[in-house]
Parts: sequence; structure tokens; C-alpha cells
Amino acid sequence: MSEHETFMEEKNKIDSYFDKGYQVISIFENLSGTFVDFVAAEGNKEREIVQLQLLTAEARKYIATKLLFVS
Amino acid sequence: MADLQINLAGIKSPNPFWLASAPPTNSGYQVQRAFEAGWGGAVWKTLGDPIINTTSRFAAASFNGKKVAGFNNIELITDRPLEVNLKEIYETKKRFPNHAIIASLMVEPQQEKWHEIVKRVEDIGVDGLELNFGCPHGMAERGMGAASGQVPELVEKQTYWVKEVAKTPVIVKLTPNITDITVTAEAAVRGGADAVSMINTINSLMGVDLDSWNTIPHVAGKGAHGGYCGPAVKPIALNMVGECARNPLIDIPISGIGGISNWKDAAEFILMGATGVQVCTAAMHHGFSIVEDMIDGLNNYLDEKGIASVMDLVGKSVPKYSNWGDLDLNYKVVARINNDVCINCNKCHISCEDTSHQCIDMLVDENGKSYLKVREEDCVGCNLCSIVCPVDGAIDMVEVKQALPSMSWNQRQSRIASFMTERVAK
Repeated sequence: MSEHETFMEEKNKIDSYFDKGYQVISIFENLSGTFVDFVAAEGNKEREIVQLQLLTAEARKYIATKLLFVS
Repeated sequence: MADLQINLAGIKSPNPFWLASAPPTNSGYQVQRAFEAGWGGAVWKTLGDPIINTTSRFAAASFNGKKVAGFNNIELITDRPLEVNLKEIYETKKRFPNHAIIASLMVEPQQEKWHEIVKRVEDIGVDGLELNFGCPHGMAERGMGAASGQVPELVEKQTYWVKEVAKTPVIVKLTPNITDITVTAEAAVRGGADAVSMINTINSLMGVDLDSWNTIPHVAGKGAHGGYCGPAVKPIALNMVGECARNPLIDIPISGIGGISNWKDAAEFILMGATGVQVCTAAMHHGFSIVEDMIDGLNNYLDEKGIASVMDLVGKSVPKYSNWGDLDLNYKVVARINNDVCINCNKCHISCEDTSHQCIDMLVDENGKSYLKVREEDCVGCNLCSIVCPVDGAIDMVEVKQALPSMSWNQRQSRIASFMTERVAK
């Protein structure tokens, strides 16, 4: 899979979580990339936390841009 | 016709093109011929205790048929007594009162030595002084030149000593043989410098003879490092000028030096903050007459831009020179191959495939004709293909409008910092 295809997969996941009302509660970066913890919006009985590992540079840019300008 | 006159820290000259302190400014005969050819100023070959030179002294790097892509020398400062130089400076100034004559000076780092030479040189009538804290070879072994210029405290102190007695503007010439030239430039400012000039030459060894195993150049079978200059050093010099120009603590004019070979090079240095430029290698390669094209070219450029005075060009690109962390990560360019111009040499494909991001495909159309195409979604916009392409216009780097707003690395880190803090806190 090309780098671009990997990014598009990661971007779709990010968009999907935001579309479902998830919010970013934590970001952790290390040698393996960026780990983003999403939590379901308030009102959900069980506030599920899901973690997304971002491997591509484009996705690491994208998540920050979303947080900076969109969310 | 634009006004090419400059005023660099009070030193006026009819145009921004000065000869740098070097072999071309060794004597009155040479400087007067240079002024006749059109040079606006000259920094006299460094005055100090007369030295003894070696033979041989110069060497040059040729690259792919281009002679003197880089130039190396182990020549020292003037080998003539001060009185001889001063007499010729006086005669030259008398003949050319409107041209700038700056005396380059180098003595041991002692207050009385600086006081003596400054007074004697200014008594003869010069427009300014340039303190040679940059010469990297020979003199540096004696504690002068770059040896002084690499120690910020010595730069500051010696500049201060000169300013104690100097009546004309003092330019401090800096060595590039240091990690961060802004440190020594700041020291010069603290010492009271009226301007800085950069860069002096870079420590270098031009080569080794594969038959004799001698260095190039060599002196009776032995070599010593020299100073490197010429077109090859221009990017290094331009960066150093830009770094100083954008540093708020270095609020004095800059005289740009380093590989300037034509009016375009000069314009780039001026845009990046130099009030004027100094030239050596190009004059040594082609003679004094190159200044004619420099003057015409700069004049035409200013006219085309509608700029009345070259002084109005100074520093116009400085605000565009920033830190990497402030660059827009969401800006995107991609390569686009113009197949009607492309000669299918495949150099772009090879360079991308072997050393970049593998996004140029070799394809065959329905007529069996080979062509190259960029997968733009995988292109990172590195420019490599357009750099190696031998045909002008065959590859364009095209901006791709992004849906996402501008975001720098510093903005990114600032935004995610709060999320990272929360994670650590848990």
C-alpha cells in the first residue's frame, strides 16, 4: 500500500471519529509515531476510549490541523 | 536609470560593487584600474606587519567543465611596507575622490597595535576601515585573522579598541569558520562596529595529487589549509548574511561577500540584507571589466522593478527568511511533467526511484510511446526531479491548493501540548 493510501485510511478513521462526536483527550508521540486517544461524546453511557496510531506524516499533520482549526 | 549609489554606515560609493580585500586590491595601480573599469569601491589588501608569502598560492576546483567553481588560496596579507601602501592609497583617493577606499587591517590583538595602525591609516585619508578577523590561514597560526574572529570576546575587544581612536566607519569582517556567525556579529556590535562584512574564506584543502600524493597546492611537497571562496561558497555566505540581517541584535549594515559573480548574485545578497557587495574571485577569473555587466544588469533589474534606488532593495527578502518551525506544513507543491517538452531521458524517474519517493511512473501510451507521469498524490514536492532534469520547462513544480489552513510545526506543537500534558497527568 502506498504512503498516500495509508494516509487516506488514517484520515478516514480520524474523520470518522470526529463525525461520531468523539473528542481527542490525549496525544502521545514516540519513536513509533503518534497515538491519539479519542473518547466518545458526553451522553454516551459508556464513554469508550479508542486509540489510533498514526503512522504517516500526513496524518500527524492532519490531526493537529483538525485540532487547531476545526474542533 | 536607477540610482546605484550606496551609503554603507556612512561610506558612500557610486555603486554597490566593491573589490574585496585580496590580490586584486594589492596596489594603487590595480585599484585605480578597477575604478576606471567602474568599481564603486575597493577594500585595500590587508595592511599589517609585512609578511613573506610562499609559491605556489592558489588552486581551483573545476566541475563538469566549469572552471573555478571554487577557489582556494594560501596567500597572506600585504607583503609591502605600510608607507608604500599608504602612499598609493593617498594617490588613488586623490584621483578618485568619490570612490570608496576602505583599508583592511590586521594586527596582533593588542590595544596599542590597533591604535597605531588606525591612526596612521586614517591620517592618509580613507573612507573606512575593515578589521580582518577572517583570514583562516597563515595569519591565524599567529593569533590573528580567523583565530581572533572565532572568539567573540576578542572580536568585541578589538573592535572596541579600534573604535576608541577611529574617526571613519569601522566594518568588522567575520569568519565563516564558526558554528554560528551571529555570535561574533553580535560581539562586533557590542564592540561598537558600524558595519559587518561576511564571509571571509572557508578552511579548505583543494585536493590531493593522485600521482605524487602532494596536496594541491603544495609548497615543495608540503601543504597547508587555505581559504575557499568563489561560486561554490555563495549559498553558505548568503545564509550567513540572511541570519545576521534578521537578527534584531545585529542592527548595523552588512557588506556581503562570498561567490558573487554577476549582478544577479549581487541582487540576491542585497535582497537578503547586504547594503553592498564585495567581489574577488570573479574579478580574478575574468578581470575588472566584469563590473560593467554587473552595473548594467542591476540597473536594468531595478528599472524593470520600478525601484528608484538600490538602497530601496536592501533587505526586502529578509522578512521571508524564517525558522523551519515557522514554515507552513500544509503548503504543498507537486511535480508536473510536460510531456511535449520532456525528452524521456528518465533522469527524473531514476532520481525519484532511487533517492526520493518513488512517484514517477514510466508508462507507455496506446501508440507504444514511452512517457513519464508523476503520481501527484505520492509526490512530496521535494524538487529533486526538476533539479536533475536537463531540459528547461520539462518539469514544473506546481502549487496544489489545500483545503486545510496554514499550520506550522511550532503551531502544531503548541496545539497538541495540552493534550500531551493530560496524557502524562493520567
